[in-house]
Amino acid sequence: MPDLSPLYALLAQLLPFECLQARFMQQALLGLLLLAPMAAAMGLMVVNFRMAFFADAISHSAFAGVALGLLFSVDPNWTMPAFGLLVGLGIMILQRHSNLSSDTVIGVFFSAMVAFGLAIVSRDRSLARDLQRFLYGDILTISDGQIVCLLVLFLALMTFQAIGYNHLLYIGLNPVLAQAHRVRVALHQYIFAGLLALIVMFAVQAVGVLLVTAMLIVPAAAARNVARSAGAMFWWAMLFSLTSAVMGLLISAQDWARTATGATIILVACCWFFLSLVVASLRREQTV
Amino acid sequence: MAATEPLPLYQAIEAAVRFEEVTVERGGISIVDRVTATVPKGSCTAIIGPNGAGKTTLLLALLGEIGYEGSIRMGGNGRALRIGYVPQRLAFDRGMPLTVSEFMAMGFQKKPLWFGIGAALHRRSLEILTLVKAEHLAARQVGALSGGELQRVLLALALRQEPELLVLDEPSAGVDFRGELIFCELLDNLRRTRGFTQLMVSHDLATVTHHATHVICLNHKVAAEGPPRLTLTSDNLTAIFGMHMGLVNSRSMPGNQGVCSAPCCQEPPNA
Repeated sequence: MPDLSPLYALLAQLLPFECLQARFMQQALLGLLLLAPMAAAMGLMVVNFRMAFFADAISHSAFAGVALGLLFSVDPNWTMPAFGLLVGLGIMILQRHSNLSSDTVIGVFFSAMVAFGLAIVSRDRSLARDLQRFLYGDILTISDGQIVCLLVLFLALMTFQAIGYNHLLYIGLNPVLAQAHRVRVALHQYIFAGLLALIVMFAVQAVGVLLVTAMLIVPAAAARNVARSAGAMFWWAMLFSLTSAVMGLLISAQDWARTATGATIILVACCWFFLSLVVASLRREQTV
Repeated sequence: MAATEPLPLYQAIEAAVRFEEVTVERGGISIVDRVTATVPKGSCTAIIGPNGAGKTTLLLALLGEIGYEGSIRMGGNGRALRIGYVPQRLAFDRGMPLTVSEFMAMGFQKKPLWFGIGAALHRRSLEILTLVKAEHLAARQVGALSGGELQRVLLALALRQEPELLVLDEPSAGVDFRGELIFCELLDNLRRTRGFTQLMVSHDLATVTHHATHVICLNHKVAAEGPPRLTLTSDNLTAIFGMHMGLVNSRSMPGNQGVCSAPCCQEPPNA
């Protein structure tokens, strides 16, 4: 395990807030600084592909993933992402090869996941408390091991985004047109679904099942309102996502707030969204 | 007069696309039923037929979007041709902030659009946009284009592929009459100078009689195939459209408006 202490020291120096002197806060900050850009980049494509429901279904499969881990006494930190990946690719295969509408396919998966998770948990009352962590998320308990995993995922995902951003936009615009013009649609869709499943599983630990879709969608939606080109949209999404994450963490740690970190992050992001709506409507008035 | 002449055999002509016994079924109904037809190389081939005749379905089978029985062979050696595709109506999310320049570059640029568009690629896009008289749209957002403007940009994107086979689905849908004429003349010129094969789906007989060099009449099955003068006969049209269309004069202009300046119209009738 690489030693992350120098990174923490650097963060504490860059953001000299009193609350950031504690190690667990530095870990949370580093985790969020890795997670936020990934969520923003993937969120743009989630909005572009209209896959918000897909992300939702994967986040809910976290239940079943944890339940499976507890059932077979395997570390839930492994079963959860693995199971999420399986569900994500499974939905993608069904969606591409069946005549059912994607809403229906996802709806079926979604219910199956939640029901399965609840069924297993209901067998054992002591497990129910463990699952609360996944409903609300807790970035403050992130471990060095998880941060290293995030770092690896960060590198993989950003490489994929750098190579695939243009083609993903193309596919999101119209898959038939993209396919006719020699874009490898299926390959991009599968890699995207797999990476999205993994990022969702990590985001679940940060903001919880209930808010994970918001972490993907809200900065992306705000960026679409403000940006005038697809290139600029990317940077706006990064800005909104990173500032929401850092401000959310700092606010939640203040004595006057003492709110759940995940929820605070999403609230800040929503503020950005409403501001972006104002900017967009002002701009529309100018052009009319 | 034309109906008595035997249709020429097209197997002898070099084919850009050859459909053989192509069948597409949906829910037990054959939308395309054992279609055997040829798109000659370098031709402007039109697939005509009433609504719901399976025209677009046949195109989608060609593009590999839907499964089919039978075979579709492209080119002489079976190598897939480079396709430029202009869809009938592009279904897309109009709220997406995407400029026309980005739209033209995104299939070609390796580096992500966050770092801007490469100068050489941008110049190339502008050249093609100028060709379809849409250079003034380069900085506009794709979602803010009108139907006719979008159709031009889509044509520019298809031409940007440097296609060997240009596939157009209802090219005149959503384009006003003047725009449509420019569209067709432009395509005729380009087809001749660049030597690609053009395959279009249309239910607009005026366009077809004016610009097609080869016609496939489709109503689930192939009703007739051949040059427009031999296929667009009163009998054939009544058979596929299910009503009396009257004789179509292949040299007449729709609504008797203006004179077509496309090269095809300057040729002797039996060329």
